[in-house]
Amino acid sequence: MKKKNGLIQKIILSTIGHEKRQTYMIPVFSILISLIVGAVVIAFLGKNPFLAYYNLLQGSGLAPKASYAGYKGIITDFASFLNALTPMLFAALSVIIALKAGLFNIGVSGQMLAAGFTATILIGYSVLPAAVAKPLVVVIGFVMGALVGALVGYFKHKFNINEVVSTIMLNYIIQYIVSFFINTFYVDPVSRQSKTVGAAGRLTLTDVVIGSYKMDIPLGILLAAAGIVVTAFLLKKTTLGFEIKAVGSSVRAAEYAGIRVGRTRVLAMMLSGGFAGLAGVTYYVGYFASIQPRVLAGTGYDAIAVALLGNSSPVGIVFSSFLITVISKGSTYMSSASGVQPEIASAITGVVLLFSACGAFVKYKVDRWKEER
Amino acid sequence: MSDYIIEMNHITKRFPGIVANDDVSIKVKKGEIYALLGENGAGKSTLMSMLFGMYEPDEGEIIIRGQKVKILSPSHATELNIGMVHQHFKLVSNYTIAENIIMGMEPVKKHLGFIKSVDIKKANQEILELSRKFGLEVDPTKVIEDVNVSIQQRVEILKMLYREAEILIFDEPTAVLTPQEIEFLLEIIKGLRKDGKTIILITHKLEEIKKVADRCAILCRGKLIAVLDVAATDTKTMANMMVGREVSFTVDKKEPKFGREILKVENLTVKNEDKFDLVKDVSFTIHAGEIFVIAGVSGNGQVELADAVAGLLKHSAGRVILNGADISNYTIRRRNLAGISYIPEDRHNVGLVMDFSLSDNLALKNYFEEPFSGKGIVREGEFAAYGERLIREYDIRSSQGNNTIVRSMSGGNQQKAIIAREIELGSDLMIFVQPTRGLDIGAIENIHRQIVAQRDAGKAVLLISLELDEVMNLADTIGVIYNGEIQKIADAKTLTPGQVGEFMMGVGHK
Amino acid sequence: MNTIIIDGLSFALPLFIMAIGGIYCERSGITNLAIEGLQGFGAFCGALFAVSIAGSFAGNSPVPFYLAMVFAFLGGMLFSLIHALLCIRFKANQVISGVVINILAMALTEFLTKQINASIFGAASNKFVLGVSARLTVPVISKIPLLGAVFTNLYPFELVIVLIAFLAWFVLYKTRFGLHLRACGDNPHAVDAAGIRVGRVRLIAVMASGALSGLGGICFAYSISANFSSNIYSGYGYLAIAALIFGNWKIMPTLGACLLFGFARSAGYELVKVLGMPSTYQDLVMLLPYVLTLLMLIFFSKKNHAPRALGEIYDKGAR
Repeated sequence: MKKKNGLIQKIILSTIGHEKRQTYMIPVFSILISLIVGAVVIAFLGKNPFLAYYNLLQGSGLAPKASYAGYKGIITDFASFLNALTPMLFAALSVIIALKAGLFNIGVSGQMLAAGFTATILIGYSVLPAAVAKPLVVVIGFVMGALVGALVGYFKHKFNINEVVSTIMLNYIIQYIVSFFINTFYVDPVSRQSKTVGAAGRLTLTDVVIGSYKMDIPLGILLAAAGIVVTAFLLKKTTLGFEIKAVGSSVRAAEYAGIRVGRTRVLAMMLSGGFAGLAGVTYYVGYFASIQPRVLAGTGYDAIAVALLGNSSPVGIVFSSFLITVISKGSTYMSSASGVQPEIASAITGVVLLFSACGAFVKYKVDRWKEER
Repeated sequence: MSDYIIEMNHITKRFPGIVANDDVSIKVKKGEIYALLGENGAGKSTLMSMLFGMYEPDEGEIIIRGQKVKILSPSHATELNIGMVHQHFKLVSNYTIAENIIMGMEPVKKHLGFIKSVDIKKANQEILELSRKFGLEVDPTKVIEDVNVSIQQRVEILKMLYREAEILIFDEPTAVLTPQEIEFLLEIIKGLRKDGKTIILITHKLEEIKKVADRCAILCRGKLIAVLDVAATDTKTMANMMVGREVSFTVDKKEPKFGREILKVENLTVKNEDKFDLVKDVSFTIHAGEIFVIAGVSGNGQVELADAVAGLLKHSAGRVILNGADISNYTIRRRNLAGISYIPEDRHNVGLVMDFSLSDNLALKNYFEEPFSGKGIVREGEFAAYGERLIREYDIRSSQGNNTIVRSMSGGNQQKAIIAREIELGSDLMIFVQPTRGLDIGAIENIHRQIVAQRDAGKAVLLISLELDEVMNLADTIGVIYNGEIQKIADAKTLTPGQVGEFMMGVGHK
Repeated sequence: MNTIIIDGLSFALPLFIMAIGGIYCERSGITNLAIEGLQGFGAFCGALFAVSIAGSFAGNSPVPFYLAMVFAFLGGMLFSLIHALLCIRFKANQVISGVVINILAMALTEFLTKQINASIFGAASNKFVLGVSARLTVPVISKIPLLGAVFTNLYPFELVIVLIAFLAWFVLYKTRFGLHLRACGDNPHAVDAAGIRVGRVRLIAVMASGALSGLGGICFAYSISANFSSNIYSGYGYLAIAALIFGNWKIMPTLGACLLFGFARSAGYELVKVLGMPSTYQDLVMLLPYVLTLLMLIFFSKKNHAPRALGEIYDKGAR
């Protein structure tokens, strides 16, 4: 009955049948299929998909553009790419830590906004010197994000509120409160956004002249690298990591083992929120220097795709965030160069997400085939 | 045409890794009670699942009433007038008895000539009549979660009768019943035979077969060993054939030497979310070197009692005293450290983190202590060394040793891992809740020996058991629980199985 | 006072019909966090159809609106097949599936709206302009003080919703299918043993949820926002989920929760207007339903009992 699938089965088995390879082959498959789907759509619109994808690389500073304005070059584009990558890495770490504890933090965007806004008004508008202001921005960002995260964890523990619903509600609440304050007190009448933060507090050094280029250097990227190492260590080498994973795998077994489930969840959400906060400050007080009212950063949602694609592993997200950032960052240039709507970027990311959600099924199916042989 | 209503010829069924049925052939006559005897895992349930259309045999044929058939689904089996009472009841807990019985063949009434709705009044009436006819009286309007197991089983039987089943399969029907309820059920089964029904009884309890069955097929490790005429065979022979070797029915056990008082439970009461008493005012004491068995029918509060002692459930009144210290307000972790080991009823969801490796599971209760970790940093080397020692000493078998994900291990080895972990904690109090459930006789004997060894090593053992045999074999002291209340506490030697059974029914209550 | 009732109802009813869809899905045992995505995609399909045919009808003709409802219904149903495929066939994590669908729907509709506007209608716009549906007032009854407001300035879709809601109630509680559906959410094994295909029942439940969410979405598009754009994703899907949790997965109590949301929202707007506050204060009104949701979750989440088999993957083979 299944004979006609024999060849396809064989191909799939030979590529992703191997257990060790599965962890990265399945995400690679999801990406490939999504890119093909995207290419078909672009071709259907009468544009050259290869050119469009090349434009994505160009826009991200990974391939040279045909011409550059003064002081600009591939290196400046790449620096700008790193500016976008930094918050993405933090946001993905945030999603991972929550996922390991069995929680789905889709409130990363709200936590980012809360942290970014607080750091903006407390430090961004102050006259503190850079040496004091920058560390303070980081600390405030982490603390503010952690507070929101802890609240979500507490709601879950104390009142059994589904964290997906509570984080979404908090997203809207934070969005409207911040919008109210910006429009009432901090609005820049020209841009209709919040007033720009001072250079002292900003986590990105702007217009640094290196050689013949002027570029924006994100200091947060170093912090993000450290964050990845810390998260990997936390999950693999510490008792807290052991507890988080136990709670994430089986609440009842963890409880039976003497682990305080509520405390562990609140802690995990605090860490998750903290990393979201860092994503917020590197985004709003780094990559950008102001906040647009009533808008949440897409980073928080993209980070879910990054985390799922990266197999919720701190190392995996380095690769997946790179890819997703290329797609989202390069889309503006692609739009101007080949005329494809930039929104196709998030559509492709959405399709990637869809396929990676099927990953568990692919693994299950492949294992079954292997058993049958 | 033959005079057999069911013929299953040369049936073979394989699952990944095992052959569940290996060339099994049985023939059942119309109107007889045919027993399938075998240990857990012998392939009885698999064979009947194929007759009921849940699996398809890999090889062999099934002939019903002289016609070769391919039974594709349970509903197809129902069309062939085959019904089955599963070991785990398949009932919708928030539906009434009537709704459960009629599901799939609901009587309907029409509004305005074309809008159909379920006619629940008619259903209630039909079920009342049906239940009276077969002596299985139930109130059709009661909700399933409000009635006890024995009534739930009646509902399952009525479900078959409502579908006019002629061939009735019972999968381990007595496992959850008290001795008196078992008597009642066996009478019902005999009555059904009188009405011309054909009955297949899956069991591993010899006395039941002796009491009701006409013929008996014995399965061992997927193979058919023999088909016997029950009246002409004694139970000892059947038992030896079932296990494939000589079995002893009793556990070797020295006279107990009671030491100091280890656990004292005083007036313990546990309520559920709806403030309903699950455990009522329970008091007892366990000494070092004593096996204290709580006997009772499933669902009478014994699991909640064990959970409350271990700290998994909060109690609303009373005290738990361990080694003279009141641990009533201790967290689970503190109780573990104070000297409680706990082998829980549900090894999949509670006893193990199924997606963790074996070594992580073996260290699940001491990962936070020296030498497994220090200053919050875990030492993987210690986990591995400890895991290897336990795997060796307790003979835990798995495909990849320490790194095996426990989900992929067999039930018996999972239980070995839990018991190894809990014994190694060296606690003064060992709580076992149904430690042998679902295991085969070899594994059961092994666990019984370990329980006795723990007692002899001076531990206090609290054992919760539903099996009367296990209770009588292991107990030094028996406490019988019914409806959350302790009915009787006595030296095991002073009670007969019959008396224990009566207390389990709440009959001895004055 | 009348405005509060009129506006409150026109917000509460679309929310209610989405929540009913959610009840169908969750009572069958499939967690549905995808309501928002289904709502958006359904509304997108309806709106696209309406703007495509708008030229063939007179400016004030109600026909495009009714056709848009049909297409939103179908579009939501179509998109819900993804959730059904992932949850029933692929046995994926239902929470992840739901969230993924929301993100995908948002991204897809945003892209498609812009692309279609650019390549077909030749306009650089990220929305389909729909206008506000005509309203009707029931004579005589509407004159009754207070209660009359319920029958004043009704959107026609409110009547459609009430009708469908009644039908949904009847099917869920009175018919054979409803009996099977609710049983799937408690013990799918029992349903299977009774010879009913669990996957099929759940598929229909998920599709019903998609269809009703799409319907709710197009109603919002034709009233509150008067256009379709990605702005339609305002957390209403999650409000519907919150409403059904307060409603304990039962239809009538869920209606109560939806009405409460609706009236809280319209009363807030009225307050800003009456007190003559600057427009920035609208932000504070906008967050009212969300704060209310959190507060109500705090009080109700622990008490309520979700369907027992909710979110569990049903594997026929497992015994």
